[in-house]
Amino acid sequence: MLRLININRRLGNFALTGINLELSYGQYYVLLGRSGSGKTQLLELIAGLEHPDTGTILLDDEDITRKRIQDRKIGIVFQDYAVFPHMNVFCNIAYPLRVRKENKKSIALKVEKAASAMNIHHILERRTDKLSGGELQRVALARTLITSPRLLLLDEPLSSLDTSLKDDLKRLLRNLNRDGQTIIHVTHDYGDAISLAKRVGVIHNGKIIQEGSVNEVFNNPHNRFVARYAGIRNFFRVNITAENGFSIGVTEHKVRFKLNGMPAGSNCLLLLKNDSIILANEAPVNKELNVIRGKVIEIIPSEFGMEVTIDAGDLFYVNILSSDMENLRLKVANEVWVTFSSKDIVVVSGN
Amino acid sequence: MNRNSIFTWIAMILSSLMLLFIIAPLAGMFIHTGGTQFLETVKDKEVHQSVWLTLWVSFTATLVFSIGAIPFAWLLARKRFPLKNVVQGIIDLPIVLPHTAAGIALLGFISRDGFLGKTASLFGLNLVNHPSGIALAMAFVSLPFLINAARDGFAAVPEKLEKAALNLGASNTKVFFSISVPLAWRSITTGFVMMFARGMSEFGAIVIIAYHPMVAPVLIYERFSSFGLNYARPASVFFILIALLFLITLRLLSLKRKEKFINSDAQTD
Repeated sequence: MLRLININRRLGNFALTGINLELSYGQYYVLLGRSGSGKTQLLELIAGLEHPDTGTILLDDEDITRKRIQDRKIGIVFQDYAVFPHMNVFCNIAYPLRVRKENKKSIALKVEKAASAMNIHHILERRTDKLSGGELQRVALARTLITSPRLLLLDEPLSSLDTSLKDDLKRLLRNLNRDGQTIIHVTHDYGDAISLAKRVGVIHNGKIIQEGSVNEVFNNPHNRFVARYAGIRNFFRVNITAENGFSIGVTEHKVRFKLNGMPAGSNCLLLLKNDSIILANEAPVNKELNVIRGKVIEIIPSEFGMEVTIDAGDLFYVNILSSDMENLRLKVANEVWVTFSSKDIVVVSGN
Repeated sequence: MNRNSIFTWIAMILSSLMLLFIIAPLAGMFIHTGGTQFLETVKDKEVHQSVWLTLWVSFTATLVFSIGAIPFAWLLARKRFPLKNVVQGIIDLPIVLPHTAAGIALLGFISRDGFLGKTASLFGLNLVNHPSGIALAMAFVSLPFLINAARDGFAAVPEKLEKAALNLGASNTKVFFSISVPLAWRSITTGFVMMFARGMSEFGAIVIIAYHPMVAPVLIYERFSSFGLNYARPASVFFILIALLFLITLRLLSLKRKEKFINSDAQTD
């Protein structure tokens, strides 16, 4: 339904360059990027608030690149909601209908329906400065959805909500998408992406650097930036050499990795998930495994247990459960063995 | 005792002196105006006419010029265009010009030889020594107050709100009247009141263009130069009181208007 073809747009020192994107009906597309990566600018181009310098935007095969914003039927919900502060909730939701000069009865019915769908029918008469972040978000969504947009654009809709409100809103967005609403959702949060997206695009410095299904993107990150989003903190730049028929990657600090079938002489970036590493107090005998000796330099609590940092020449970050911590009796300055399978190493060529 | 509190004390003393500087002459004038003299002035038909003329001409000038000034202020707040700084400088020019010089410049424009004067005379209107000429003089010196205040008001309205309204299908005109103006209303009102007040108090430019009919500042000057301080004082006090009354009423009305506007916005579509 939506196609962006080679979109370029310069904004001061920043530029969106060579953006290509294709979206089918009913898609939930999450555009993941840090602040300043250009994701909001891209949304504004699609909505028609800005125009690209070059490139084409097609919606249902119609060229809408220069089409008036009012005629695009693309709804956008801004990060800070942009709820009109001088109107109450009812007037906010009714605004697009009044602009279209619909009659009062029809407006009242539609607003009531939209408010019920968003579970805000009880606050219709309330002033907007009396609303919580979650309520403001729902008002903004109801106000946009009442226009029946062909495409819904969401700019960081979950960023300023607390955890329980986030879960509510995620459920609501999933239901909207299930009912057929096509959505582009921009966020900096990897968690939002994996819990909502059918497809993911990662945007960095004004370029979409990787795109695909959630599994494709995060199980096979093309570079360090995407890998960081997947929670990977172990990156190693290595030169490949061949020893006894094996490929060995050696880092600048002489840490050695056994790799599967890499050509000697090449320079690669290795990615290793924190969860793929196992710690042991004694060296395992399995020759297939990578076994590296190091010293514990930091232990900090993490979401699922502990994150242990090991200095083995290069730093390894390992997630372990609290129970394993006790079994291993890990302490700072202890010597441990870092073990992992070659199969768990993701090799990224070039940068 | 720390350095901050010493500084605060010095600032408070200096502030008191500044306040006293404003209040003392006005208080002196009120104190030196006798009750009988004041009552006579209140009954003086010439004073009535002059004060009334000043009020309605200044109000009308402000109202008429706000039709152009408010959209102009929006443009200045929202759009980038070549020579914008020069345009901003031109707007502020009347504030720094000697007002008699402004009057002379304006006289050349509205006299029968000037462009506007010639055009007006085609409709049988002589702008010199006429309330419309006075209105132009008032507007010339006071317009920057409305434009600048309204511009700051529009600039303070988050652009995202205007973008959201456009995205919801509103035309640019609709966005201006339903989002930008209501949200900048307080600044626009302040600018309106300031322009009105500045127009009312104008003397220099008006005296060049229209000695008659006499606006209050010209009348006060005329009483002073013909009869002396004792005759000018009661007229001044009367004018100040009426102007204050009018300003306060206007301010209160505009605040009420704002509340009403907020409550009923968009229900009028």
